Amino acid sequence: MIRPEEWQLVWFTSWVSALSTLVILPFGLGIAWLLARYEWRGKSVVETLISLPLVMPPVATGLILLKLFGRRGPIGGFLHDTLNLDVVFTWRGVLIALGVMSFPLLVRSARVAFEEVNPRLEQIARTMGANDVRVFFTVTAPLAMRGILAGMVLAFARALGEFGATIMVAGNIPGQTSTLSLSIFQAVQLGRDADAFRLLGISVCLAFAAVWTSELLMRRRKRLV
Amino acid sequence: MLKNIVLELTGFSLEVNAEIQGGVTAIFGPSGAGKTSLLDLVAGLRRAKSAFIRLDDRVLTDTEQGICVPARHRGIGYVPQDLALFPHMSVRRNLLYGCRRNASENRQFRFDHIVQVLEIQPLMERGIAQLSGGEKQRVALARALLTSPRLLLLDEPLASLDAKLKARVLPYLTRIRDEFRVPMLYVTHDRSEALTIADAIVVLVNGKVAQQGGIQEVFSRPANLDVAGLLRVETIQPGRVAQIQDGLVRVAVGSTTVVAPEQNLSARARDVFVCIRAEDVILVKGDDRPSSPRNHLAGTVRSIGRDGPFMRVEIDCGFLLTASLTKQACEELALSPGDRVIALVKAPNVHLIPR
Repeated sequence: MIRPEEWQLVWFTSWVSALSTLVILPFGLGIAWLLARYEWRGKSVVETLISLPLVMPPVATGLILLKLFGRRGPIGGFLHDTLNLDVVFTWRGVLIALGVMSFPLLVRSARVAFEEVNPRLEQIARTMGANDVRVFFTVTAPLAMRGILAGMVLAFARALGEFGATIMVAGNIPGQTSTLSLSIFQAVQLGRDADAFRLLGISVCLAFAAVWTSELLMRRRKRLV
Repeated sequence: MLKNIVLELTGFSLEVNAEIQGGVTAIFGPSGAGKTSLLDLVAGLRRAKSAFIRLDDRVLTDTEQGICVPARHRGIGYVPQDLALFPHMSVRRNLLYGCRRNASENRQFRFDHIVQVLEIQPLMERGIAQLSGGEKQRVALARALLTSPRLLLLDEPLASLDAKLKARVLPYLTRIRDEFRVPMLYVTHDRSEALTIADAIVVLVNGKVAQQGGIQEVFSRPANLDVAGLLRVETIQPGRVAQIQDGLVRVAVGSTTVVAPEQNLSARARDVFVCIRAEDVILVKGDDRPSSPRNHLAGTVRSIGRDGPFMRVEIDCGFLLTASLTKQACEELALSPGDRVIALVKAPNVHLIPR
């Protein structure tokens, strides 16, 4: 019933979304922690920059990424010349588009979660001889885990459905950069409604599985805390 | 040792200069006096405009030299008012969090020993949410002790407990004091707590050290009216020096006179406040026979009230004098309002503060 190329589509979309979530995780948590715990110069600028992809049209964000990562762009040119890596119109482009688009969601929920951790706990951990890294991994992160998980699920879900930025940076190359959303759009464009509906069903299942898993995870956390 | 500390706090600044010996030192002051901020500063969790802090012979903070040892290297145990137990860990993991690897060498701070002294064994596998207030308090104390601290900071350790629990936790604190011999800074605004546990006291009033010294010394000789009021010395009455002779001062108070040694009168003041602690007053019923206390004040009992295990008796003897008696003593004397009594106060227990 589901054709092999559709399986490939599901597989590609899921893993590239999951990978993008994992790639942005350390950066997202780092920035969220800095935003939650410290006052520094340029903080508001960074806050605004991070939130931009949320409010800008995804296609516009995609265009910026295309210009940055294109072979003649500042970052893409460097990657092409030194590492012989192409980003635009490859799966790496998809990865970057998804990461950038879902980054603000991760940072926002992680930041709120960090802010809710009583700073006193961290301070006392420090008086007991723990350095910042140990304090983060033994006190801050475990206590903020629900918010961090929620942020990861949000980021993953955002990545699963991302369309505008992806199509600008990675195009829609079947078997290479096609994601579920891109394929649904294409199927509708070509009048293949049956295909579109099948893909639609698949995305519903995928989204359901993601949210359900996260609910399960959080329920387990809740019992622990 | 705390020197030249200037802490800018919202609305005021706290200035402290104090040499603190071993034993337990109570930091005494009204709420909002900056006591917690002072502990934070000592623990290295907060910076001050100017500060010099030395523990034994190690300089921890010296703003002039730009020295500020990070909190994790200070070797100071801190039990904050909210205890800050880690809610996501069991009691055991909380205790082990700061446990030093070299702790086994230091027999005093062995895990088993501390757990035994504070009776924590049965709580070991519980979560923090399953502990009662007093149990939490003990776990927090044990956790701080397990870091083998060279100084222990306690921020109002009993303030959140009701009277019954207070009485149950206080013995653990004295046990810690006597068993582990860690110097402690003990922040409190409760005089009976301070009297029970502390050897010395630093009284903070309006952001400054109003007085410091041995606990008995400060309680019986408050330096000024602020300190006396803060320590709730029961009887504080205005008086006027009438005569100084043979090392004794006679002070007119209300319609009577009290006698105090001359060294209790600082700065040759004429107008003074007479301070007498309730526990320094002895009551006798019947004839006024000669006895050693110099002050024999005849009066009538105005009221009798309960004050924990004691009875608080107010006597009108030309001025209002408060006495503190055990319940039994009160019953043996068969005191009731209106009774004629003689209040005896030894002269050295009458303290005079210039007005």
